[in-house]
Amino acid sequence: MAITFSDAAKASMEAKGLKEADIKQVVEGAGKDRIYNGEKFIAKRKIGDLTVYADYSEKGDKIVINSVYCHKLAIRDIVLTGEETAWKYCKNNKPVMKGHTDLEYMGAVRSGPSLVEPESGESWFEEYLAVGALATAEALFQQKRA
Amino acid sequence: MGYEELFPTNDLNGWHANAAKRFASPFVDNYHDRIDVDPIILSNAAVQCGFTIRDFYEKPELGIHCVGYISELFDLLPVTHWFFSLPWVRELGLTLVYKDTLPPVSTGPIYEPTAEGIESMRVIEKEELMKGTTIPLYFGLYDYVQKNLPHTLVPISYGFDLVGAPAEFVGVENFIMWTFTEPDLAHKVVDTFVETSINGADVLSDKYGMAMLIVGSVLANNDIFADEQVEEFSAKKMGYYVDQCFRKGAGPQVFYHLCGNHETSYKVFKDNLMWSPFNVLHIGYKGSKDFPADLLKKEFQDVTTCMGSVDTKLMINPNPKVVYERSKECLLAGRDAKKGFILGTACETPPYTIPGNLLAMTRAARDFGTYGTW
Repeated sequence: MAITFSDAAKASMEAKGLKEADIKQVVEGAGKDRIYNGEKFIAKRKIGDLTVYADYSEKGDKIVINSVYCHKLAIRDIVLTGEETAWKYCKNNKPVMKGHTDLEYMGAVRSGPSLVEPESGESWFEEYLAVGALATAEALFQQKRA
Repeated sequence: MGYEELFPTNDLNGWHANAAKRFASPFVDNYHDRIDVDPIILSNAAVQCGFTIRDFYEKPELGIHCVGYISELFDLLPVTHWFFSLPWVRELGLTLVYKDTLPPVSTGPIYEPTAEGIESMRVIEKEELMKGTTIPLYFGLYDYVQKNLPHTLVPISYGFDLVGAPAEFVGVENFIMWTFTEPDLAHKVVDTFVETSINGADVLSDKYGMAMLIVGSVLANNDIFADEQVEEFSAKKMGYYVDQCFRKGAGPQVFYHLCGNHETSYKVFKDNLMWSPFNVLHIGYKGSKDFPADLLKKEFQDVTTCMGSVDTKLMINPNPKVVYERSKECLLAGRDAKKGFILGTACETPPYTIPGNLLAMTRAARDFGTYGTW
């Protein structure tokens, strides 16, 4: 499949030092390990210490990467499961729920709001959280653990 | 003369350095010294420095400097805060007046309690908030702290109290009745306030790059409402408020304050609030008793740092030993909470809190406030 990148995706990749090859790895390596909402997909993959996400759309044999984001906090267990969302997990076609998941960073474990699929135990973090609250949390962890 | 000239500098290398490390410790699992004490000190700090309650609210820079200064005396938090429970309401049309013994209060409702009456009520956008009173007040306050007490600065945006503040627009009694008879109108009033508060947090996080959020369920408690109404009008709105603020770049620090009696309504918050890596949950009372720390820990330790409560009535009772014993009970029940514990009072410590009682809390924290594993 042909993969193209939006300007927003290119800008975030540059800011985070991610290469097109990394993102292709996230998308192509995901298989069914991704969530979908209509034509929109989110896939994630651990690259080094980062969990990297690709938010993309599939149209025929074309893939457009809408946005790319990542976090350093490592995903651990689901701690709360809430209401159903419009997302579904490709692997088992089960609905993805709003929830909270434990995150580990620098030896500390804290919860964050997430998308969860309880049967598989999988969690995903949305872009607004990864680039906002979670990124600030990572900086605070670094500062306060110092 | 500026207010900064009234105060010596805090002991930055000694007290503040240690308090800052301790303050961070429950959030980063790097336990240090002892459990922190937060008596939610507001106008009491001004009183202890020889000023009045009115001074605290009328002169926010003086008020916040008193908080920063007096915290060292009782080895409290290394950060400053200043607030009263009615932010954003003046932009929405209410008039507030200063009182000698109270925080600013509203002069009364401004809308007829009818559907037509609240038709003109609308969300205040960011640009308008910049020209209002709340944003300039916070900018002035945090700019003062940045200049004079930079070691204590935490820019905070208050969403406090998402039900009680909007109720003032139509009269609290009318609002309470609406929650039964005209829930759509009650929602409109609350939602207008919530959206305005979100815009306020957006402005603050734009300027400071972040904004801690403080949001409470004050009017919505079990003395007034059933659990279902607390959930519908407060818990869900608080969750929405924090989610939207996060979307605009505020957070991730959140302080949730469930004020008053949450006898059974405490159960509706866990599934409705937005839990971040840096949040604290504080519940005042269960019935007429300060909320039990063991129950707080059991229910919420998986998702948040917990803040226990010592009844504020005890803080004006000339009996520091009682405060010490109650603090000890609270610490022993809560200190091993998985995501950390803070010893607090059930709400703002009263303006005329007896200094010996604040010392009793700190003494108890020194004696019993380890994390249970030391």
